[in-house]
Amino acid sequence: MDRRIVITGIGLVSPAGDAAGLADAVRTGRSTVGPIRQFDASAFPSGIGGEVPGDFDPSEGVRREQRRYIKKNTKVMARDIQMGLAAANRALLDSGLPLGDDSQPPLPTIDHARFGMVFGTSFIPTTLDDLAGPVRASQTDGEVDLKDWGTKGIPQMFPLWLLKHLPNMHACHTGVLWDAQGPSNSLTCSDAGGLVALDEAVRIMARGTADLMLAGGAESRVSPLLLMRYALLNRLATGADDPVTASRPFDRDRLGWVAAEGAATVMLEGRDAAEARGARIWAEVLGTGVATMTAGINTCDADGRGVALAVGRALDDAGVEPGGLSAVYAHGPALEKQDRGEAAGLEAALGDAARTIPVTATKGVTGHMGAASGLADLAAACQMARDGRVPPILNCTTPDPEVRLNLVVGEPREMQGDLILVTANAIGGQTAAAVIRVNR
Amino acid sequence: MTRRIVITGIGTANPLGMTVEGSWEALLAGKSGIRPIFIFDASAFPTTFASQVADFDLAEYVRDPDEFARAGRNVRFAMAAGRQAMENAGLFGRTDVDTDRFGIYLGSGEGVLDFPTLVHSIAVSLTDSGTIDTVRFAEAGLQRYDAFSELEQEPNMPANHLAHEYGLRGPAYSCLTACAASTQALGEAMDLIRTGRADLMLSGGTHSMIHPLGVTGFNLLTAISTEPKDEPWRASRPFDRDRGGFVLGEGSTIMVLEELEHARARGATIWAELVGFGTSADAYRMTDIHPEGRGPAAAMQMALDDAGVAPADIDYISAHGTGTQENDKVETLAIKLVFGDEAPKTPVSSVKSALGHLIAAAGATELMTCVLAIRDQRLPPTLNLDTPDPDCDLDYVPHTARQVKVEVCLSNSFGFGGQNDCLVVRRFVP
Repeated sequence: MDRRIVITGIGLVSPAGDAAGLADAVRTGRSTVGPIRQFDASAFPSGIGGEVPGDFDPSEGVRREQRRYIKKNTKVMARDIQMGLAAANRALLDSGLPLGDDSQPPLPTIDHARFGMVFGTSFIPTTLDDLAGPVRASQTDGEVDLKDWGTKGIPQMFPLWLLKHLPNMHACHTGVLWDAQGPSNSLTCSDAGGLVALDEAVRIMARGTADLMLAGGAESRVSPLLLMRYALLNRLATGADDPVTASRPFDRDRLGWVAAEGAATVMLEGRDAAEARGARIWAEVLGTGVATMTAGINTCDADGRGVALAVGRALDDAGVEPGGLSAVYAHGPALEKQDRGEAAGLEAALGDAARTIPVTATKGVTGHMGAASGLADLAAACQMARDGRVPPILNCTTPDPEVRLNLVVGEPREMQGDLILVTANAIGGQTAAAVIRVNR
Repeated sequence: MTRRIVITGIGTANPLGMTVEGSWEALLAGKSGIRPIFIFDASAFPTTFASQVADFDLAEYVRDPDEFARAGRNVRFAMAAGRQAMENAGLFGRTDVDTDRFGIYLGSGEGVLDFPTLVHSIAVSLTDSGTIDTVRFAEAGLQRYDAFSELEQEPNMPANHLAHEYGLRGPAYSCLTACAASTQALGEAMDLIRTGRADLMLSGGTHSMIHPLGVTGFNLLTAISTEPKDEPWRASRPFDRDRGGFVLGEGSTIMVLEELEHARARGATIWAELVGFGTSADAYRMTDIHPEGRGPAAAMQMALDDAGVAPADIDYISAHGTGTQENDKVETLAIKLVFGDEAPKTPVSSVKSALGHLIAAAGATELMTCVLAIRDQRLPPTLNLDTPDPDCDLDYVPHTARQVKVEVCLSNSFGFGGQNDCLVVRRFVP
């Protein structure tokens, strides 16, 4: 069996645009953070964000009947779902698999029963405007009695409201669109979601259940309800003079996350099959690892043990020694405890190599894309490797002295070799890591 | 060498009881968990009943109940079920187990949404044009919302709490594939042990959608039953001609899955062996199931193949059996597709007739009933199957429990959105 798994397609919807757009922003150190435009966020403690430009189109490039399906169903897709679907479509288009003409089923050359997907997603907060009418109809003096909600509110609701927000609908719509009848999972592992999805997708292929898998992550944290939640939890960046300097991973003067949004998806295939069809190969997935923090639901392991375990598992799975790594794309959420915990974990897992391997992070450019962030980093890493460079951490001007890693600051570094480690960690929860061999 | 996976611990918090044995006895006795909703005032909702977990004292199940002050019902149920599973497996308080090789995989839903604060913040932010003024929304919400209640809504919280409570550092996952979630969790957990990534997994599901927006959402989809309000225990009628949708349930079932040699080495008591997992997607439509049962049939076949068993080996099928017109008809069709001549001879029942639909926790709870069926050689009945449906013509074990030989069971779970997951569990034979 072909157990070597490669990435043949990358699809991105990010604050910097598509995959090439993200690579360009990372390469040139251009921040995509600004005042939030989707709604008036001025009364939130942090009113800035990394927003996906309004012109992304989930139906771009796909076949005519697929465009019809998307247009018809957009109203039942919350923004997370639209971005996830768009990123999946872009990964498929990027893979170069024949889409088939409009008279055929999509992807006529594949076995649809052996094509599946795993998405890292999040519980999607309700679209506020969907509740405006029902609340207006049922409220008295600013409060809603449940009897009034039952008789006057519910009848005003959009009938498909629930489906619009379910965390498995990214996979559902993508599967319908491309007739993917293989395994379909939706992992709600917060920040770690995308990389955990990659781990599971690769494992499903290795056990022989699928030949082709999409692994994705999608989330919008630029929503009033999440800005509220994360502001109350003191996770969001406040007090930056200029939004473009607000997101400062591993910097001594870090301010917290900048809420961002996006979706990142990779198309996975067996290496032999990919080579046989002449596919362009971005990278080989050598190993993945998943663990968890145990310190508590709103904190992280100060000693970084959860991170170290995930990284150690990924390295073991890959059969790679820490010293063989060429670069680390770290999670770097720009929170003091989390940055330091991650650094401690990397130090523990990488040993002496931690002092020499260049460590970078992309959240200075994009802000925090939630469940999309790990795979967005992986996508950026694949592209930056073609430049032969490890990009600097934007806005990390005074590295935190507690972070004893070889942080890439100021200028890019030349990249030696082709092995890259990517990490992503959920606060108080799942940790994930992947080791890839990039095709330079 | 193939690593075999056995179930060495089970815990549950469900509408029929807070113990494995108690809820099993109630199921066999034909009791229903369905009552008028007492969690919130649903008297003016289209649906006024559900299958709810009775109040319990979390302090019996956790080290420090204060850590759970803002936890949702999902977390509370998971802590109760998780503790029972750990004790049942003989792992509670043991310090000689390698917690780095002890993982977690839950199918878990959201914490309870803060409905009063949400609707209040919206009510004071309404504009004349029918939209929300997000400035006023922010001002109102920042006054009333509670940070930790908000954090507890995230669906990975049950897994995070369990990792913290028991110091488990193995691979940890949380999935939410609607009604299939905990079956999918158990299946993937099994694979994590098979592939050597863990020796032990705490796996199952936990969920409650019995909150105002949950019931609202399902009522809008007309997926849940609304009648009879005066006799709600008759509302869940899988495979009956007059079925009118499912009844929302809530709860958690969590199991300890363990690699066989690991279990043997520590002298663990083995409930049963988990031998097969199948997973597929319908890829058909957002809510409708493929009319020929393509996806469910593929998942069942994959589970049988994985287990190395034939349809004739299956003694009992725990159906997804939601009690919606469409599911029960298509599931019947899919069973016939896979089982052929064996279909009419294979007993099928739906415990959702008694427990309601525990959504993300349904599959794990149903797998528990399969394990108990194997132990006791008794099948739980399908309640309320009064009028046969010509489209549902299998042996559904109506009304009363049945004594039969049970060695191997298939448990089906099919999710909204098209995920199909099936498990095969077998009496453990060394």
